Amino acid sequence: CSEEFLEVDPIANTLESNYYQTEEEMYAALVASYDPIGWLSGDFVTKLTALNAASDDVYAGGGSSTDVPSLQAVSSYNLTAETGPQSSLWNKGYSGIYRVNTLLVKIEGAEVSEAIKSRYVAEAKFLRAFYYFDLIRLFYSIPLITEPVIPDQMFEVEQDTREAVFKQIEEDLLEAIPNLPDQVNVSVEGGRATKGAAISLLGKVYLELEDYTLAAEQFEKVNGTPGATSPFGYSLLENYADLFRTDNEFNSESIFEVSHSALANGVWDCMPCTEGNIINIMAGPRGYNISNTSAGAPSFVSGYGCFVVTEGLVDAFQLGGGQFDPRYSTTISNVDSLQQAGVVTYEPSYKNTGYFLKKFIGRTEDVTSGGGATELNFPQNNYEMRLADIYLLEAEALVRGGINTTRAQQLLDAVRDRVGLDPVPATFENIMNERRLELAGEGHRWFDLVRTGLAATALKDKGYVEGKHDKLPIPLRELTNTSLVQDPAY
Amino acid sequence: QSVTLSGKVVDSETSDILPGVNILVKGTDRGTTTDLNGEFKLQVSPEDVLVLSFIGYLNKEIQVGNRTSIEVALEYDIETLQEVVVVGYGTQKKKVVTGAISSVSSEDLETLPINNIGQALQGRTSGLTIASNSGQPGEGATIRVRGITTLNNNDPLWIVDGVVVDNGGIGYLNQNDIESIEVLKDAASQAIYGARAAAGVILVTTKSGKSGKITVNYNGYYGSSAPARKLDLLNATEYATLRNESSIAAGNGVIFPDPSSLGAGTDWQDVIFNDNAIRQNHEVSISGGNEVSTFYTSFGYLSQEGIVASDISNYERYNVRLNSTHKINDWITFGQNLGYSREKSVGLGNTNSEYGGPLSSAINLDPITPIYETDPEVLNRAPFTVDSLGAVVAPNGQYYAISPYVQQEMSNPLAYIQTRLGNYGWSNNIVGNAFLEAEPIKGLKIRSTIGIKQSYWGGESYTPVFFLNAATKNNRTSFNRNTNRKTDWNLENTISYTKKIGEHDFSILVGQGAYKDDAAVGVSVTAFGIPADNFDEASLGWSYTAKDTDPGGYENVPHKVSSLFTRLNYNFKEKYLLTAVMRRDGSSNFGSNFRYGYFPSASIGWVASDEDFWPSNKVVNFLKIRGGYGVVGNDQIGKLNFVSTIGGGRNYSFGSSSDSYGLGYSPNSLPNPNLKWEETSQTNIGFEATMLQRLKVNFDWYKKVTNGILQSPDIPGYVGAVNNPAQNIGDMENTGFELELGYNQEIGDFTFSVNGNVSYLQNKVTFLGDGREFLDGGQNFQASTQPITRTAVGQPINSFYGYKILGVFQTQEDVNNHVNSEGKVIQPDAVPGDFIWEDLDDNGEINVDDRDFIGSPVPDWSYGLTVSATYKNFDLTIFGQGVAGNQIFQGLRRLDITGSNYQRAALGRWTGPGTSNDYARLDDVDPNGNFRRPSEFYLEDGDYFRIKNIQLGYTLPESIISVAGINKLRVYVMAENLITFTKYTGFDPEIGGGVFSIDRGIYPQARSIMGGLSLTF
Repeated sequence: CSEEFLEVDPIANTLESNYYQTEEEMYAALVASYDPIGWLSGDFVTKLTALNAASDDVYAGGGSSTDVPSLQAVSSYNLTAETGPQSSLWNKGYSGIYRVNTLLVKIEGAEVSEAIKSRYVAEAKFLRAFYYFDLIRLFYSIPLITEPVIPDQMFEVEQDTREAVFKQIEEDLLEAIPNLPDQVNVSVEGGRATKGAAISLLGKVYLELEDYTLAAEQFEKVNGTPGATSPFGYSLLENYADLFRTDNEFNSESIFEVSHSALANGVWDCMPCTEGNIINIMAGPRGYNISNTSAGAPSFVSGYGCFVVTEGLVDAFQLGGGQFDPRYSTTISNVDSLQQAGVVTYEPSYKNTGYFLKKFIGRTEDVTSGGGATELNFPQNNYEMRLADIYLLEAEALVRGGINTTRAQQLLDAVRDRVGLDPVPATFENIMNERRLELAGEGHRWFDLVRTGLAATALKDKGYVEGKHDKLPIPLRELTNTSLVQDPAY
Repeated sequence: QSVTLSGKVVDSETSDILPGVNILVKGTDRGTTTDLNGEFKLQVSPEDVLVLSFIGYLNKEIQVGNRTSIEVALEYDIETLQEVVVVGYGTQKKKVVTGAISSVSSEDLETLPINNIGQALQGRTSGLTIASNSGQPGEGATIRVRGITTLNNNDPLWIVDGVVVDNGGIGYLNQNDIESIEVLKDAASQAIYGARAAAGVILVTTKSGKSGKITVNYNGYYGSSAPARKLDLLNATEYATLRNESSIAAGNGVIFPDPSSLGAGTDWQDVIFNDNAIRQNHEVSISGGNEVSTFYTSFGYLSQEGIVASDISNYERYNVRLNSTHKINDWITFGQNLGYSREKSVGLGNTNSEYGGPLSSAINLDPITPIYETDPEVLNRAPFTVDSLGAVVAPNGQYYAISPYVQQEMSNPLAYIQTRLGNYGWSNNIVGNAFLEAEPIKGLKIRSTIGIKQSYWGGESYTPVFFLNAATKNNRTSFNRNTNRKTDWNLENTISYTKKIGEHDFSILVGQGAYKDDAAVGVSVTAFGIPADNFDEASLGWSYTAKDTDPGGYENVPHKVSSLFTRLNYNFKEKYLLTAVMRRDGSSNFGSNFRYGYFPSASIGWVASDEDFWPSNKVVNFLKIRGGYGVVGNDQIGKLNFVSTIGGGRNYSFGSSSDSYGLGYSPNSLPNPNLKWEETSQTNIGFEATMLQRLKVNFDWYKKVTNGILQSPDIPGYVGAVNNPAQNIGDMENTGFELELGYNQEIGDFTFSVNGNVSYLQNKVTFLGDGREFLDGGQNFQASTQPITRTAVGQPINSFYGYKILGVFQTQEDVNNHVNSEGKVIQPDAVPGDFIWEDLDDNGEINVDDRDFIGSPVPDWSYGLTVSATYKNFDLTIFGQGVAGNQIFQGLRRLDITGSNYQRAALGRWTGPGTSNDYARLDDVDPNGNFRRPSEFYLEDGDYFRIKNIQLGYTLPESIISVAGINKLRVYVMAENLITFTKYTGFDPEIGGGVFSIDRGIYPQARSIMGGLSLTF
């Protein structure tokens, strides 16, 4: 037979060597670079589920102490190199970085216009910074990879200094910002990086590095005048609850959003391929059933009973005299009391308090009617950064840096005023408390606690050990036959 | 006038005396046998003719005449040495074969209840390790030839009448159509199939017609199957007692205030087992022919109900076959073999899984929950009160109960059955070949063969709205139909020339082949929310909106191989033997750097017993010593692994308009253009001997080394690729020996034969990559984050890996005394009743580094024994088979569901000092990880010996049946899997699959009792 006989047509497979030629293919590479933002692993770990479980706001909950082991481990600070959310979060970050690095290399040879090229490169650099910023905060000591790894050198990669990683993040963002659009048409491009997102992220990086002046400078560019529409067009939504409506994505308060879709027909066989938001089914109380349909009980789906809200968070919402912070009813559902009132029935979760994370409990009206597993195809987006969050971060930077308390007060007031709360002094403590309530369950709390040194106290009851649990262990797989070393605390 | 004739019988060549020779006066039933001195006495008349018969010798007739004493010399039956063996692209006289080949012939298989041809080899051939994948009707067996050759596909290459058929695809064959099966075990025999032979080659030859009168055969049996064994599970009272204890230990208080009030409760095994599962098989064949054409045609039907949840576990198969040959003229022959089968299999889903299905549910469900829910209070609550939730109603109108204690994937198995009724899978196979063979001059044969396997398969399933429990439920109906097809073909052309010059016998073969397979395509459509209440009403014919349908499809990249091969056979006086083979294969699975592989082999043999100096003796009548070395290959590691491909599914949703989400693509993994063949080289030394005329011995020793095993080891996550790139890293070694023994004895009307074989094998992984001591991953078990097996250098592949147990802490003092060499208390948090883990690294704490190799799933020994006896018209065959030296991971209990039922052994748990040293205390939280850690606790010896088949037959005397024009009529009864000797505590110690011997609740083999009839006219 001739040699040709053995050349098989790679049906339904595209070879890398033939790809990355056209604009369409580069767009697919860009989409793939964004994909890990909504990363869901087989162990139910997303950035949001893991960071919530780690915080003092919720317990992992679920059916039992062994349900969703990765989240239980971080919720009770039982982390070991092999158990916990770290391998999923590590893979999320480095998968994104690999795709970004691939895009950056391949776009040089692709037939795309200069305009597209400069925007894609800027987006890729923003994403690389975004992934690295998560990795460096979650793992402390990581390898810095800025090009696709060559097979021969696969096992020789070493951890870099934190300075080098932060420098790269800063550099990527500074290079990205000029070429990113001020705004995007949210109906088709919502979710793609904008100047506002990149500048906010840069501010967060500086804040992490405790460079308060630089941080506040960045945040101010995004925030503009507190309470007004910012230069990039951001403004606080009038109604706090509207932030979490599934029909209100990419609203004026949204700066960078994790986008999900109910249309991708995701199946259990490949959880990372799904586009739905897993937190919706996880947060649903177990066996939730409305027994009195006329009492107006919330239309929650019956779920896995995860993210049981701690008594501590519930207490934080109490204003005294039986009054609750106005954001409470959007944030938390007291399913226990609904059951006691005979309106619903449900099964208690592990570490049950009766309170569940209402912001993210899936609604029956959002259950997909398309193909795939309904559990995996909830559409709700969640915010990586939104204006109120950046207001409070700026306030934090201004107060911690002792820079401008007046503006800090204005920023804090704006956030409180939106929900009808009276001003409180812009102290560090009040700002942190405001962040906790404003952003409860949105995945910021753990980073806030670790960044500000409050973690040891706040998370003590959960088993947090200072000097150890301010980062995750390097996943076991990364240590096997490689040059990486585990954090000494693990 | 009769006289007493005294006589002596000897071997014609050696003059050895022959005891036990049958002597019969022709046309009468008078006769005798020779005694130990080879002598006999018999009353005869001069006109009598004596018929002397003896196994292994030619019959001889002698006219008595006037003699009163006589010495008869019997000639050794050369025919037994004329036996031919199929060797690939031809046959060879058994006497001159130099490779290690095991054969199973049609007689061995006749009337045995073999549903899948793989089973036919179990216990009947040496050098094979075989375990059924499960007892689910229609399931195949896992077959390993001389151990595990590679980390990749270890399924042997099946070649049916010259057509390459993949392992899973041989289910279509009908046992009665099989003439012979040959297993090519050593590289010298395999090399002619070069590229794909490393895991062994199994040649199946189907029957052909013989010229002469038309013969009609019927064989059929009918019977019933039942489970051979039930697990010892706790009854409701015992269960409640243990659950209370475990709950209290975890600080959670009493669950069941009065266990004894619960009585025995429900025996879920009784609920799902069928003690009268019907099994039947019928086959009719017609064969015949004349000088020009011969044919063999057959029809077969087989049906079997499973012993577990028979409604959703059964199998049916129809077979049709036509084989024929035609002489076009004196020197051109045309022939074809064609088999068609239709299979319908209804499977219950998980046949060896801890994640639900009827078996797993029956093992784990609490015995307290009744089959039907009758408690009005419960019936007044959801889901029973809410129709739309889909609580399952039994045919008797009652609701099936839902366990409040055991949920997740475990559900009331009867309710589960209701949700799957009607679902089935089907497959149609047409496998055939056609050949043209020309012999223009004597000894020169030119042959061209085309073989095709055309397969169609698919399935249909309906899913109703159901609520089995809070975690296992479905809120909208769906109906799925999938169909798949593929065409595999191979084309081979060979020229062979055989020439004898003096005492020199030459035969040379040159051939070329092209193969294409694996190009399957399929479509699958699921419609959701269909207006149907059951499978029969379900259809894709309704009109659906696009939103309610989920279409899918796939198209496989084909696998192609292109080959050239040659073989030389030479012998001198059939005494000095030589075979040499060379094959070159090119495979589409490799890049151009290493696309072609060369696979040479050579083997020699010496028939020592033919030498003049060989002493004429009665101990060793025949002896052949042979040895060989060769290299074969394996290219089975998936396709396009040498390049980097772009993969989809990396999508992201942009925009708020609800119908947009972006399709993302990125590389799947890093490329490896240097990917090349795995090479398996093998040395084989063996001998064949006949001793004392009656005892046949066949012995082989081998060493098999695989180099450059294709692997895709986990690469570090920081690389960021989705898949791991394939690499040629890994070496493995198998050494072992095989012994086959056969013995025949004939005493008057009584004949007796024993055939046994035993194989010993050791597997060792020798290299996994520079600095890589073991592979990541391994077999997962439930929610344990540590795998239960590990493939490591110096150990057998997939060895069990876990913690070692030194006993159970009896007292707090024991806890305090369990210290490392520095005096550090190793398990400070343990309490009495917890396992004492061995601190292997002596670091004073128990962590992942304290795991070790604790057992091997692959048996060291596999053996089989067949004893056959006939007396007059009765025949009896007992066939047994067994393995030894492996461990089984007994993982039947679902650990992360705290309410799972226990096996009786749990009653022997630790409850106080001195109560147990091998079963830890029960505690729902289990802080010491007594049960959560993979450990020796779960390992049991996997040794077993099974009486696989006992068969008693009676052949009706010719005088009766000849009246009806019948040549042969035999009736028989048989029992399959009657007794299994084992200490193993699960259902069945025979557990196949990708990794042997992991019991997650395997569907056990059935015990069957059947009656049958075979008829020839």
